[in-house]
Amino acid sequence: MDIFFTVTLNAMTLISILMLVGLGLGIIYGLMGVINLSHGEFVTIGAFSLAFVQAMGGSFWLALLIAPIIGGLVGLLIEQSIIRHLYTRPLATIMATWGLSLIIQQMLQLIFGASPQKVFSPISATVSIFGANYPVYRLVLISLAISLMVSCYLLMKKTRFGLDLRTVIQNPDMADALGINTKRVYAIAFSLGAAFAAIAGVLIAPLTAVVAHMGVNYLARSFFVVIVGGAGSVPGVVAGSTFVGGIETLLNYAIPATLSQALVLVFAIVLVRMKPTGLVER
Amino acid sequence: MDHSTNKSRTTRGRYLALLTVLALAAVLATPLFVGVYSASLIRDALLFALLALALDFLWGKTGVLSFGHAAFFGAGAYGAAIISTRFGLDPALGSWAGLLAGILISATIALIVGYFLIFGGVRDSYFTIVTLALAVIADHVVTGWSSVTGGDAGILGIPPLHFPSSDGWAALSPLALYWFIAGIVSVVGFSVWWACRGRYGAVLKSIEDNEQRSQALGHNTSLHLLIVFVLSASIAALGGGLYASTVGFVAKDTIGLLLSTQAIIWVAIGGRGTLIGPVLATILVIWLEQEITSIDTKFWPLAMGGLFILAVFAFPDGILKTLERLFNRLRSSAEPKEAKGND
Repeated sequence: MDIFFTVTLNAMTLISILMLVGLGLGIIYGLMGVINLSHGEFVTIGAFSLAFVQAMGGSFWLALLIAPIIGGLVGLLIEQSIIRHLYTRPLATIMATWGLSLIIQQMLQLIFGASPQKVFSPISATVSIFGANYPVYRLVLISLAISLMVSCYLLMKKTRFGLDLRTVIQNPDMADALGINTKRVYAIAFSLGAAFAAIAGVLIAPLTAVVAHMGVNYLARSFFVVIVGGAGSVPGVVAGSTFVGGIETLLNYAIPATLSQALVLVFAIVLVRMKPTGLVER
Repeated sequence: MDHSTNKSRTTRGRYLALLTVLALAAVLATPLFVGVYSASLIRDALLFALLALALDFLWGKTGVLSFGHAAFFGAGAYGAAIISTRFGLDPALGSWAGLLAGILISATIALIVGYFLIFGGVRDSYFTIVTLALAVIADHVVTGWSSVTGGDAGILGIPPLHFPSSDGWAALSPLALYWFIAGIVSVVGFSVWWACRGRYGAVLKSIEDNEQRSQALGHNTSLHLLIVFVLSASIAALGGGLYASTVGFVAKDTIGLLLSTQAIIWVAIGGRGTLIGPVLATILVIWLEQEITSIDTKFWPLAMGGLFILAVFAFPDGILKTLERLFNRLRSSAEPKEAKGND
């Protein structure tokens, strides 16, 4: 019985992480159609922000506030300087963002060095759930992820910005004619997506090795979260991350982690063949 | 098609043909003038150029961008390495069996994946992302399945290709091997060019321009795309298999995302759809990489990232077309200017 709960909680941890990374990508790719191959680097920027804040003597919670600001600002800078000019050229966006991702990775490595950064989990306690000992930190991570998902959903459905964003997505020209500042909406959406990825980076950091290349590990998986779930909706991201995270956790008990990640992507390809529009229709 | 387009197309064809002949002559003559090290660098670059050619066949001729082409190159390399070293085959037989097996493995993977994706209606950015995952999967498999692939250490001791000689089967001399490889690249490049000219090329072009319209005209577009995808994967695997037998070892850098993206730079910088452009760009970029990493290895990823962004903004159609435009402007500076659309 306790194994069942451990597996479920492990799956929920991974699902939460993928949800947050996928949420940022869901905004940038799913809604705006920008294939942002530097999305993984925003996760890395988040994780490095935590390492930096903690090295300066700050707390985990401070980093959780600072990382999305840094991520969002870098995102805004990139959108304004590069992506903005490429909205009509999807292939060019792919190339430019991959170039960016290489540059960000190498800059981080040049500044911080190649060895893994030191980060500390804010809570080291474990709690007993139905006989299974489980780190409290992971439970905090899961609940934070859920509350962020809910807030994002409300942002999309209940606020003026969410309405504007959905309008721009349905028909940019019409939105422009109606007086919505589409450029501004795109810029904010991109920066918001980057900020979510940075938060994910902070939350992931205590569970993994914080190195400059860590983002690549989340790139393909988060694209699959968005494609499998159905591009452009919060429920889609939830469905997609549950599929990818759930299967990966289960497989991890039977085969090496690298092979299970590979196998999940294979399953995802088969699923994309059967349901090209994703699990949740927009 | 009005007269002026036809004319510019012939000029373009002549320009590319002239460039190809010059490039071929330069490549063939190179080992006679440069040292052993430089010649081996160009020889290896030519093998990577096969990957660029393969990608240009797919991306340049049909508009479908695969981010996972290194997986096919790598499958060719690892296929050749595993077959020729793990089964106790005679090196002469093993080298050829390995090359063939690598190509077959790649073609089979491409056939299965391509069937799922292309007939499933996966196109455009979706296709690119799914093939990106292919490169990631290949990377994970090589790392995770280390009993077969050697993991991070790779596989050593792959026999070179053997040819009949006066005293039985033997490996080629470095110079002969260089020319053999240059010959293979020329034959493959010429075959792709030959296949894509005329009517078949027009069919592929119609798929690139508007697949639905092409379908309405009665073309089985999915089948065409699948065939090109499988052939392209086989060419990439040929490059990978030859690479394994030429350098004698394979490691993770012959598979995975980084090589995939490099192949995309080669094609983008050389000029998508020109075939000779990507081949020249491969040699140029690998030479540049060598120069930059000899200063400091840390600079290369920065330079490569910068090249990507530069290519997007400074020469969106590739260096070759930018040069060609200059060339045309010089030629026709006396003639009245023609309105030219984007291709």
